[in-house]
Amino acid sequence: MKHILAAVGVLILFVAPLLTNNSFYQHLMIMVLFWTLLGASWNLLGGFAGQVSFGHATFLGIGAYTTMLFYLSLNMSPWLGMIAGGVLGALVALPIGLICFRLRGPYFSLATLAVAEIVRLVALNWDQLTAGPVGLLITTLPPLSLGGHAVNWESKIPFYYIAAALMLFATVLTYAVSRSRFGAYLTAIREDIDSAEAVGIDTVGVRVSALVLSAFVVGLAGGFYSVYFRYIDPDAVFAISLSVEMVFIAVVGGLATTAGPVVGALVLVSIAEVFRERFAAGHLIFYGLFMMLVIRYLPEGIWGRLRFLLGLTR
Amino acid sequence: MEIFVQSVVSGVLTGSLYAMIAIGLTIVFGVMRIINLAHGEMVMLGMFGAYWSYTLWGIDPFVSILIWSPLMFLVGMAIHRFLLRDVIPKGELNTLLYTAGLSLFVANLALFFWTGDYRTLNLPYAQWPVRPFGIAVPIALAIAFCMAIAITTALYLLLSRTDIGRAIRATAQNSQSAALMGVNVKRIDTITFGVGTALAAAAGVLLVPSLYLYPTVGEILITKCFVIVVLGGLGSVPGAIAGAILLGLVESLGAVYVSVAYKDTIGFVLFLLVLLFRPSGLFGVGRS
Repeated sequence: MKHILAAVGVLILFVAPLLTNNSFYQHLMIMVLFWTLLGASWNLLGGFAGQVSFGHATFLGIGAYTTMLFYLSLNMSPWLGMIAGGVLGALVALPIGLICFRLRGPYFSLATLAVAEIVRLVALNWDQLTAGPVGLLITTLPPLSLGGHAVNWESKIPFYYIAAALMLFATVLTYAVSRSRFGAYLTAIREDIDSAEAVGIDTVGVRVSALVLSAFVVGLAGGFYSVYFRYIDPDAVFAISLSVEMVFIAVVGGLATTAGPVVGALVLVSIAEVFRERFAAGHLIFYGLFMMLVIRYLPEGIWGRLRFLLGLTR
Repeated sequence: MEIFVQSVVSGVLTGSLYAMIAIGLTIVFGVMRIINLAHGEMVMLGMFGAYWSYTLWGIDPFVSILIWSPLMFLVGMAIHRFLLRDVIPKGELNTLLYTAGLSLFVANLALFFWTGDYRTLNLPYAQWPVRPFGIAVPIALAIAFCMAIAITTALYLLLSRTDIGRAIRATAQNSQSAALMGVNVKRIDTITFGVGTALAAAAGVLLVPSLYLYPTVGEILITKCFVIVVLGGLGSVPGAIAGAILLGLVESLGAVYVSVAYKDTIGFVLFLLVLLFRPSGLFGVGRS
């Protein structure tokens, strides 16, 4: 059952963009994949290890700025830059983790919020590097040919497949973690950190590794963001609301599940699109409302419940 | 030297208002062990309440505080009774996420009704020159400071001298023992949440003449609040006051001697340093 579901999912993933020529729908699909990617990477730390970070936008911003700056100043291919963004995000996560994981539970969450604010303010004020609130813009992407055909960067399709590849990577990574010894450590830490410590798990090391892994994936996503939108500024990629939206996806979809972020991203993008047309920022009202309703009545998330109803739990 | 004294004065004045917000957060934490991420939105509601009652009906904020803090006390009690109480047993992370949802909901509802414009409230007497000893004192902030001291003193008397205050402190120390001694813990929780909310709203009302207001102002205020309570030790009222004055001083001195642009960053760096070296707060009263 599980394997069939996964196979159907991958099939849909590959044919979906070919079903429509409407670039708006293709954009929505890309957004679903992008948010799934973010939700899944947040879930690695927040869902499996129970460490709620309100500062994941930091790594998104670092990934986006790394890709952009390497391309603009060193003319490094943005595709390499994306990976560099992930690596840099992971490197920055290391000291952040070592500092913030001295704290537990809600205190950790507060610390990540503070770190995210520091990074955002620095990005806003460090004009020489980031061009401050003006932001960075790229007009053209370097040409790339695949099997003799030049890739058309004006179309959404190539971006769709890049996003799909990244999202598959994150989902497979989540699955691998959930089946591994490392994943078991994370669950142990979430359930009872003192007992985990007592049976010899290096709780700080494991949590820092989970943060670094998660930051790497978010950094990749940030790189993708900068290439796809071709414009970034500190309030677009370092905003606290981005971090909260990542939390939203994982919570609504289902914490510590592999498929939850997909469901969460579908819900989030649909709400956003339904209400964005009617009134600006209106969708955030419903994010808030939805988050409250889900935690109160469906704490295991939509997929978490569905999975149980379909008998997919191990 | 004059600049130094000047910035110390304005730092202490601003710090006193931060203190009220932080005390609200810290007593709610002390009693219920929850961190209310929607606390900043309660400040925002107080600010908008004062703003509208001034623009629509011409009521001075220092008068309308008498309307808004009791009203927000009731709102806070209702939030706890009908929204939070059933969520708290589901664990501290769920509660944290729930209040994050509440914060997003309230802030964006305000954004929807009142738009994201930056507004200011200019009191006619705010421009009066008051220069004791050659130091310019912003008069609105000075009045707010006096009222903040009065409110904080009243709160102190409430906590130390009344039965309800004793019950609140007992619940904060150990809610099970308090329940065994006949304290109605559920009721105390609701009242404490109301008091915390009223304090936040009162601080918002007092801040209005001296600060821009816009629907998402709660975000920056709540982050400052976290800095303060971590500096002072989460759950400690004296710690919150000391932390708030310290942050006010750091911000105003930082703006003068380091850089205006990095004024807010300095506070956060201080926060991280304290987390690193004194995780239970500068005075070692909080729990980490």
